[in-house]
Amino acid sequence: MKKILIANRGEIAVRVIRACRDMGIGTVAIYSECDRAALHVRLADEAWPVGPSAPRESYLRIDAIIDVAKKSGADAVHPGYGFLAENEDFAAACRDAGLVFIGPSPEAITLMGSKTAARQAAIKAGVPVVPGTEEPLSEQTSDADVLAVAEGIGYPLMLKAVAGGGGKGMRMVASAEELPAALRAARSEAQSAFGDGAVYLERRILAPRHIEVQLLGDHHGTVLPFVERECSIQRRHQKVVEESPSLAVSPELRRRMTSAAAAVARTVGYTNAGTIEFLLDTDGSFFFLEMNTRLQVEHPITEMVTGVDLVQWQIRIARGERLDLAPESLLTPRAHAIECRIYAEDPDHGFLPSPGRIQGLRVPQGPGVRDDSGAYEGGDVPIFYDPMISKLITWGETRDHAIARMKRALAEYQVRGIRTTIPFFQWLLDDPDFKAARFDTTFIDRKMGAPGSGPLQVIDTAHEELAVIAAAVHMFTRPPARVATASAPVSQWQQAGREEALR
Amino acid sequence: MTFEIAAGNNVHTVSISRKGALLQVAIGDRTVVVDARRVGELELSLLVSTDGSARPVQCVDAALAAHKTAGDFDVHVAGRTIPVQVRLAGGFGRQNKVAAAAGTGPQRIIAPMPGKIVRVLVKAGDEVKARQGLVVVEAMKMENELRAARDGRVRDVVVVAGQSVDAGTLLLVVE
Repeated sequence: MKKILIANRGEIAVRVIRACRDMGIGTVAIYSECDRAALHVRLADEAWPVGPSAPRESYLRIDAIIDVAKKSGADAVHPGYGFLAENEDFAAACRDAGLVFIGPSPEAITLMGSKTAARQAAIKAGVPVVPGTEEPLSEQTSDADVLAVAEGIGYPLMLKAVAGGGGKGMRMVASAEELPAALRAARSEAQSAFGDGAVYLERRILAPRHIEVQLLGDHHGTVLPFVERECSIQRRHQKVVEESPSLAVSPELRRRMTSAAAAVARTVGYTNAGTIEFLLDTDGSFFFLEMNTRLQVEHPITEMVTGVDLVQWQIRIARGERLDLAPESLLTPRAHAIECRIYAEDPDHGFLPSPGRIQGLRVPQGPGVRDDSGAYEGGDVPIFYDPMISKLITWGETRDHAIARMKRALAEYQVRGIRTTIPFFQWLLDDPDFKAARFDTTFIDRKMGAPGSGPLQVIDTAHEELAVIAAAVHMFTRPPARVATASAPVSQWQQAGREEALR
Repeated sequence: MTFEIAAGNNVHTVSISRKGALLQVAIGDRTVVVDARRVGELELSLLVSTDGSARPVQCVDAALAAHKTAGDFDVHVAGRTIPVQVRLAGGFGRQNKVAAAAGTGPQRIIAPMPGKIVRVLVKAGDEVKARQGLVVVEAMKMENELRAARDGRVRDVVVVAGQSVDAGTLLLVVE
């Protein structure tokens, strides 16, 4: 393997480029119109255009990407996460073109990509699943039929897209009255997001934790699970903070969950990196939720507590190497790691996306801090893609130590010109229930919807005054040269400031 | 020179002058001495005197991001992001100053980015509560609900579901 095409953008494309560089492998980036100067293009060895900015016309164009892979002489393709990462047609197209797809086989993607087939695979492996429908409910299934199935499962229940992911096409249904409207909404969302409106029903577990197990499988029959990740901190079913290990998982439970995860993967002959997601109930019972047949956004926390470079292993597995890591070491976390996903969203205005130019960027540094980012000062956050701009990961000797370092790093982090979710994490990390690890997947939506919950960022008088002083000093001392060249019209106060300075 | 600077729910009157190599800043009834170094086009290292002392020692690392309107900034200080509006003395006018301080006046709900109107949740004449959803806009792969900042009554609804809008398009007005 001499040259890898990275069929993605943003921070994950940068992450894969870095792994390739560490291994002395050449990199081919692809870019859409608005991404010509994106960080992944600046860092790669080669970069090829694949079309206009809309994902459908560029990063989702299988034909265009395969064409670039052939023309550039790449011998393998890394899909990252999102876009085509879980698209079996893309994996098959790579294989047909003689390219190594750095991921599982198209057959495994197809099987585990169907939520209902994946549930059946888990059952076959002897792993418990959340009670629910075994067969998909197609778009033709009438409301009356769905209602009848729902009666058999019981309320409250979860309505989910068969092709789903990322919280899309997913609805909580509290009663039969809510079902028809939720069904319509979930089907239309699933149809537009995945081109498949089929859904299924699952009993809702009231206060579950979301615990997942990272796996690697090689082509010689070895499947190895890793210490769990705790991903219960979610907003609208999207993970926003992850940590490893979970305080809710004892060594004994870890052994059972990781063995169950490995059993599911072995049942389907899984290869490369994948993740089994579980719901963990308050009584310690756990249920298979789904499998993600790709690298996860939150993979760095596993890397931090095990010392394994997961992307590098994806590449090594894809070129046929044996997975010769010591199984016990992967299940023994070295201290604690935590990740915050930094989004270009304004948390004090309903998490509204905040695309635009990054006027200034100060990235946190120092002990135990890792920033996996696709951003740079002067760069743009386009409106076309997922608004996650970076992942901030900290490592500490204990959970408290990792959290303290995260707070320090967030205070250092400045992303100027756009709004980000940094204030949200500052609020979260000070929450007593979060600090005590007392939470489940409903935590954020419950806390943020609570009556009397004010703005996330509480600005006290002292800080407000410092901001006012800084603004006044900036205005008063702004160099006159900038006034002459500024694209904005010269304002009266600038004129007055200069006149005053001459006195 | 004297500025009026709106931050949070307050409009501060700030007078600033040179005092040798230092700056003297009067904010409300407090006066502080500031040692200012510009460390970037929009970045300042400030040392500020604390109460009862003329010695500037409190470290304030400040950076600004400019909004489109001249004088409007996000100020990044001590890990916080604080929006401010700076005007010359009298720049807000009497009425605007009151409005800026009290958060009154009609709310013009504007599309924050290009996108598509998915749903309009209110009609003209509806009474709405603070934080109530008004309109849902799809952009960046997500549906985003724009909400009322304060209680009020919907005056005009300018858009319909399905319509594409540019950033800055007026969607509706709540008074």
